[in-house]
Parts: sequence; C-alpha cells; structure tokens
Amino acid sequence: MTEAIFSLVTQYGAIVIFASAFLSCLALPIPTSIMMLTGGAFVASGDLTLWTVSFAAFAGAVLGDQTGYVIGRTGGSALVERLARSPARASVLNRARSVVARHGGLGVFFSTWAVAPLGPWVNFVAGATGLSWVRFTIADVLGEAIWVTVYVGLGFVFMDQVAYVADVMSDVVGLIVALVVAAAAAIWIRAILKAKKGLKQQA
Amino acid sequence: MHRLRHLIGRVWSAAPIATAILGIALMAAGVFGVRSAVHWLDRPSHAERQQPIASWMTPRYVARSWNVPRNVVLDALDVSQPLPDGPTSLSWIADMKGETVEQVIEDLETAIAQFYAEQGRTTAAPTPQADND
Repeated sequence: MTEAIFSLVTQYGAIVIFASAFLSCLALPIPTSIMMLTGGAFVASGDLTLWTVSFAAFAGAVLGDQTGYVIGRTGGSALVERLARSPARASVLNRARSVVARHGGLGVFFSTWAVAPLGPWVNFVAGATGLSWVRFTIADVLGEAIWVTVYVGLGFVFMDQVAYVADVMSDVVGLIVALVVAAAAAIWIRAILKAKKGLKQQA
Repeated sequence: MHRLRHLIGRVWSAAPIATAILGIALMAAGVFGVRSAVHWLDRPSHAERQQPIASWMTPRYVARSWNVPRNVVLDALDVSQPLPDGPTSLSWIADMKGETVEQVIEDLETAIAQFYAEQGRTTAAPTPQADND
C-alpha cells in the first residue's frame, strides 16, 4: 500500500499531492500525510521543488476545506433546521451554535493539523452551524500552513526513512484523535447529565 | 469498584451513544498509546529504518538517501540518454533499458556496496553529506 503511494508521487508529482489533499479534506480516506512526506523527500532529493510540493498540498487542502464548508452551509443547514423542529434538539443545537460562535475558529484551526482526521467533519459542522466564512478561512489557512509545513518538513528531514516516519506519525495522530474524541464524548455526557438534572428539578 | 460500576451504569442509561463513543475512543487511545510507546522504546537503528532500494525511487533519491555521489548511481544505471525533468522512477528506467527492475536494483546495490568499500564505510549515515551534484 505505502509503496503504491510512493509510486503515485513518483509518477504524477505535485498533481497527485494536490488531488489527495483536496479529496482527503472531503473525508475520503486517502493517506495525504504519506503523500506529503514523500513530496518532502523528493524536495530533499532535488526531484521536486519546495514551492511546487508546498503549494500543491496547501492549495488542495484549503480548497477541500472550503468545499466542505460550503456543503455544510448549503446542505447541512437544511438538516440542522429539520433537527431543530424538536424543542429538546433545538436547545442542544442552540448550545452547539454558541460553542461554535465562541470557539469555532480555534476548533477549525486545530482540526486542520493536530487532529487532521476530524478536519472534514469540523468543516461541515462549521458551515452547517453558521461559523462566519472569514473566521473559518483565517483558521483554515493558518492550520493548513502548519499541516503542510510539518509533513513536508518531516519528509525533507527524514527523506531516507519515510515509511518509518509515516508509521510513527499515524500512531501519534491516532492517539491524539482518540483522546480528543474521548474528551468530546465526556463533555457530551456531562451536558446530557446536566440537562436531565435540570429537567428533574423543574418537575 | 462497585461505585465505578454504578457510575458507568448511570452514565450508560442516561447517554448510551456518547458512552459507547467514549469507551471506543478510550480503547483506541490505549492501542495507539501502546503502539507509540513501543515505537519510542524500541527504536530501530538508522540502518534498519532506512528504506531498501525500491522500484518507485528515483536516481537522485537513491543517491541522496544512500549518501553516495550522483554519478555513482548514474554510472550504475548506465543510461545513455539524459533523464527527463521531474521524478523518474527506477521502474521507468528499467523499462527504457529493457531490463527487469530487480536487475537495475541489484546493479545499484552492487555499485553502492563497492563505493562504501572504497570509502571504508558500512552504512549511509552518519557520514557527512556526499556531493550529489
């Protein structure tokens, strides 16, 4: 599998990095991080230029994120409105909207690089819950710049051991994502318990 | 233990989906955490981490990652015509020469081993960067 990805980068260069960054930001399971590591390795060897690899990865990722945001804004908001017909759900959604309004930019920023596998879903939710486009774009551009720099940089530095670095990074990112999801689930449980306690007190 | 079981039961009955997600996420964190720790504690040496020459690699990539001058690689490949711009894989070169990629890789390995023997080296690292131009 990894060898096939390396071959794709050798064959198609920066174009395949652009396409994979774009599609992975729309939740398609494509190993863009390995593509970027390989791109960085080919920059180190002199086969590709730094600006081509970086621009391809960055442009693909930002365009993918923007597309996810637009899909969330158009299709997602209709779904959100439908969900809000129930009063209980409407109150949860209002809380979600206020969380997105307060911390949405930060969430988008971290989801583009630190917990990249969650990125496509965060983009969709940001669009659906009405995070402003300017705030989304600023957080997105800054986050993707870090994502591209980290992976292309690692590929450049560890160019002769890309497969090993990809293996290590997938475990580290997996650990971070699992911890973030666990924290989010804990916050969700706490909110449900609090809401149930409030209902009991009202009764 | 009894109190923990009671707490889990209460949380499960109040929020079964969120509790299931929490449980799965904690299990995944455990698996990835153990794997990350194993990677850290059982780091292979540089020579073991280094990727063997493969069909997707380019002549420049082989020269740089094995820390040998580029002409050592180009001489071993024995290509008569200039290579195109951008990444050119060893499998493409093998096709061009009408050889198998295994043969091309073997020739490269022999040339690199010979260069190392001349230099009194055994591995690509940690000797200073060779002249790749």
